[in-house]
Amino acid sequence: MSISSSAGDRKRVAVTGARESSTTTPITLSERSITGLALIRIFVGYLWFQQLFWKLPPDFRGLYGYIVSESQHTIIPGYGYILQHTFLAGCTSMSTPAGCTAFVPLAAGVWAAELLVAISLMFGLFTRFGAILATILSLQLYVGLAYTGWIWIYGQMVLLALVLVAVPAGRRLGVDQWLAPRLQAAGQHHRIARIASWFV
Amino acid sequence: MVQTIRRGVVAGLLAGLLLATLDFVTDGTPGRLLPEALNWFGITIADPTISRFAGFFLIIVLGGVFGLIFGALQRERIITISRALLSGLALGFVWWLVFDLLLANIMSHHALFSLDFGRFLSTFPIDLLFGVVLGAIYYQLQQQRAAVAL
Repeated sequence: MSISSSAGDRKRVAVTGARESSTTTPITLSERSITGLALIRIFVGYLWFQQLFWKLPPDFRGLYGYIVSESQHTIIPGYGYILQHTFLAGCTSMSTPAGCTAFVPLAAGVWAAELLVAISLMFGLFTRFGAILATILSLQLYVGLAYTGWIWIYGQMVLLALVLVAVPAGRRLGVDQWLAPRLQAAGQHHRIARIASWFV
Repeated sequence: MVQTIRRGVVAGLLAGLLLATLDFVTDGTPGRLLPEALNWFGITIADPTISRFAGFFLIIVLGGVFGLIFGALQRERIITISRALLSGLALGFVWWLVFDLLLANIMSHHALFSLDFGRFLSTFPIDLLFGVVLGAIYYQLQQQRAAVAL
């Protein structure tokens, strides 16, 4: 591979590029396809929503067993150590969060993040932001729990979330349909609106 | 007026179908929440399978009724997406207030406005979602109609 610097070479590269781009058919999603993806988005959001109920505040007790399991079965060396010294710091029991000093505030953070994902995906509100957050949470579950059941369970959740990062699925059957054009218009003058428009 | 009501009914039936499907894919036994819709009207069916099917169809029918109300409220106007979503949200809130709060409490002999956090969380966002989807589908049908007319 070489890097050409002459004007002739540059022109040749430009012509080749133009020819290649003319043979690549642009892809436009039909109304039916994007509506189908919007339905998938709602169900993925509902998946996250349902999982809020077995770890409800104020004690988030349901989450405890999974954190213990993650600390024992993680696929990344050192991750168990981090969990032991954050979520599980001071814990005296394997079955209940007795004595834990930081479990409740950290579990509240996890629960709030999952609620945010659920609301974002179900309502199509800053969908791509919700999908990015879902990807991070799913990756964390994959790292901690992949080998506790069928290995693809959490892998599939990561892939589903990534699809929703790639496609603006909130722009149909969602609030993003209203938000997107407004943020794009405002984004021509305001930086924050331009950044926010990346997430719809 | 007939056009907007018809569009509202179709949007309501589709949003009702989505709501019934969400109630079907629950944790535990599939569709275990569906008979709750029957309980709002004091209907009890002994057979659990028939009870779930009846609940499923009742939610779709109720969705159609709410869609009819949605369409009637718009009169003959061409509405914007913001109006569609806001009207939908308002109807979703009414659904929650009437069915999941008042009727559910009356039928289970609780105080009229009694509500715990878990029940609020499990019903309120889903009912608002029904409203948003109803409004969004209505708007989409309106746009399709406009595109065909052009």
